[in-house]
Amino acid sequence: MSAAESTPADALQTLARELGSGLESLQHRPVSIDGIAVSFTLRPRDGEALARTLRALGEHGLAAVPVGGGRHLELGNAPRRVDALLCTSHLGGVDFEAAEGVCHAGAGIRLGALRARVGEAGWEVPLDAPDDASVGGAIAAAAIGPRSQGFGAPRDVVLGLEVVLGSGERTRCGGRVVKNVTGYDLPKLYTGACGTLGVIEGAWLRLRPRPARTRVLSLPARPATDALARGIGAARLCSARACALQGRAGDALHGVVELAGADESVERDAQWLTREHGALEADAVLVDRVRAEQHATPAPHGLRFRIPALPTQLPGVLAALDPGAEVIVYPGLRLCYAAFALASADDAPGAERGFASAAGAASAALGTFRCESAPPAAKRGRDVFGPIGGEAALVRALKSRFDPHGVLSPGRFAGGA
Amino acid sequence: MADLLDALRDVVGAERVLARPEELFVYECDGLTLHKGEPCAVAFPRDAREVQAIVRACRTRGVPFLPRGAGTGLSGGAQPAPGAVVIECSRMDRILEIDAANRLAVVQPGVINAELSKAALHYGLFYAPDPSSQLACTIGGNVAENSGGPHTLKYGATSNHVLALEVVLPDGELLEVGSRSGWSASLDLVGALVGSEGTLGIVTAATVRLVPLPEGVETLLAVFPDVVSACRAVGAIIGAGLVPAALEIVDRRTIAAVEASVYAAGLPRDAGAVLIVELDGASVALPGEVARVRDLAAAAGATRVEVARDADERARFWRARKGAFGAMGRLAPDLYVHDAVVPRTKLAEVIEQVCAIGDRHGLTLSNVFHAGDGNLHPNISFDRRNPDELRRVLAAGAEILALCVAAGGVITGEHGIGSEKRDFMGLLFGEDDLDAMHRLRAAFDPDLCCNPGKVLPTPRFCAESNPKARGYDRVPFA
Repeated sequence: MSAAESTPADALQTLARELGSGLESLQHRPVSIDGIAVSFTLRPRDGEALARTLRALGEHGLAAVPVGGGRHLELGNAPRRVDALLCTSHLGGVDFEAAEGVCHAGAGIRLGALRARVGEAGWEVPLDAPDDASVGGAIAAAAIGPRSQGFGAPRDVVLGLEVVLGSGERTRCGGRVVKNVTGYDLPKLYTGACGTLGVIEGAWLRLRPRPARTRVLSLPARPATDALARGIGAARLCSARACALQGRAGDALHGVVELAGADESVERDAQWLTREHGALEADAVLVDRVRAEQHATPAPHGLRFRIPALPTQLPGVLAALDPGAEVIVYPGLRLCYAAFALASADDAPGAERGFASAAGAASAALGTFRCESAPPAAKRGRDVFGPIGGEAALVRALKSRFDPHGVLSPGRFAGGA
Repeated sequence: MADLLDALRDVVGAERVLARPEELFVYECDGLTLHKGEPCAVAFPRDAREVQAIVRACRTRGVPFLPRGAGTGLSGGAQPAPGAVVIECSRMDRILEIDAANRLAVVQPGVINAELSKAALHYGLFYAPDPSSQLACTIGGNVAENSGGPHTLKYGATSNHVLALEVVLPDGELLEVGSRSGWSASLDLVGALVGSEGTLGIVTAATVRLVPLPEGVETLLAVFPDVVSACRAVGAIIGAGLVPAALEIVDRRTIAAVEASVYAAGLPRDAGAVLIVELDGASVALPGEVARVRDLAAAAGATRVEVARDADERARFWRARKGAFGAMGRLAPDLYVHDAVVPRTKLAEVIEQVCAIGDRHGLTLSNVFHAGDGNLHPNISFDRRNPDELRRVLAAGAEILALCVAAGGVITGEHGIGSEKRDFMGLLFGEDDLDAMHRLRAAFDPDLCCNPGKVLPTPRFCAESNPKARGYDRVPFA
């Protein structure tokens, strides 16, 4: 900030004037980003305005948190500083090549709208985030859901990206073709980086053909060990696209399986599930509900963790968790989600118990976990991404090179980057 | 120089260091023999600790270094910078673990690709990336190049199958990135390292995904009057929502070379092209998929569609594809294997133009390619001893790359940039795009000592900027 700009608000207003019509600037009632009140939202109207905005933020010594649909704002540490939200909602446009099975979408496009657009031509968008998530947000958060088993992780879906670096340069990486090793694989670096290196402006995505047939079956509740064994078997069926087990860690788990593919293989696998596991026909909405619950904040206050675990480690993970923890297990994705209720947003002992339980469960698996949702008080003094060991130095080195002025969510990412 | 050699011998033993010109000769290049660079030594470490010690010995003396697997790469990724130390990983060739229950394996970098699948077969699993060189190439090299292969269409390339890496960073530190689960807690550093052509570090162990053997496999061979109609069939199959395991096209000139060689597969010599379609998955679904492919191929102009009756016939169909590069050895002393990708909908028009470029330059150009991915491999047979022909080969290659980029494609789909295409990166990327890649590289290797001169146009690197490194240029071994 210059001497004439005594407050961040002054600096933001100066910045908005400098950028003119390219930037929509809104002052509003404070919204909380992990306990930090933010009263400004900046909405660049196109990629060039986004680049100018980021350069100006750096010049004014300001910091911003990128926002798409706002579905993943709970993910991350409390930022060291945030003066404004940097909203990508004006970055629209869809370029859909039906015959090619790829599409380009602006970062601000909502997944629901994109699904509708490509679905008309028989294709699916293989990003399993909620309909109101933005394309850019789903990629930045590397958002997944139960169908990610069949879709693949976002890193496997993104073909190319346009990204405005924290330092303000508009860049492209990857491409629009389905096979590409031209230069470093920057799309993978940006996918899941939570916008800490740059803001996604648009993306080329690999689509998947809509399956000829889908069927959803529910698996009756079973004791955890039995349910896990059955879930692992179900997840490994030829046509299994999603498999989730749910319940309390110390109780029985029930499950849902979505089969997708050719009629013959879906029918065969459905018959096997019915015969071997007593599976019952269910509605597809059940899978969407699992995804919604996976993304939901434990109400009214709580913690949600993601604990990677190999199939053989899952029984140990459940045994190590607090028996009251609500879990969603995706055996095919090697993941367990665990949610803990808190008495209040400031329930420090409850938060301590939750983190300790997650850490104990992680130690029964691969030793890593991340907290995807927690009240600000519970995040204080913790790295919600868990310990990242020797990667921390590289993560910080990358942050300093891509975002040298610390404009993008400083301190919010793993290792304090 | 003597000091460095002593240090390397101290680390790995005298018998595991090569430094005489006649010993170094074969390490001057990889499969791209047009590009060469003379190393000062080759060291054969046995484990990560030795790799660390070699890297530190190089760093303290300002000598560049690079990893090397089997040397089968086709873009010069393993071509040494002048005076560099080659860290030859082929002796680190142990499969450390196969965890069949969790469908993963942990391997040292020198494990041969096909050997891993062979070991996993016992558990009903296999390692999916299958480059044409899979009988010789190593997992470490595959990781460095993000290698693909015919079955990338359905199963993905190396990057889709690497869960975690142990890597010696350019400063000599040992780091583990990624996780056996495949989920990273921070940035996707595995994603950044795979395909980085040995410029960000030296992989000393890789944890990779194993996938179950398919229940059933059906292989079809469709004969077309010309390559354009074969390309149309590919578009029709993709557009119909089918996801074959492989979709490969072999053109007329390649058929002629194959049929005149020991790889002869009984292909019709008058065919314009053949399309090999491999379908795999649930056995109950395959008959329906075979019927659909048959219909689509016929509609696109196929004059004949055969379905392999057994494993022997399947092998015969594939011989036409996999023997193609060997067969081309009959045509000329040298072969330039190009690699570029175009949108699949542009295949037909681009292939016609690629052939026209070859004809215009008076070259013997044939095509055998991963059509399902749009991944072209125009192959130019030539004699490097003819300077004018070599000039035309390079000119045609540059035109082909420009053509593919203009069509919306990229300049490499699976061979990598290496030294071969470093100066063509500007066709695809602007200055800011390349600068972002430089930022990534500099975060790992600020002094640019690890396999310098690859991927990006590099103004200078440690061997050039550090006076200590000078003097390693030896009298060329002619």
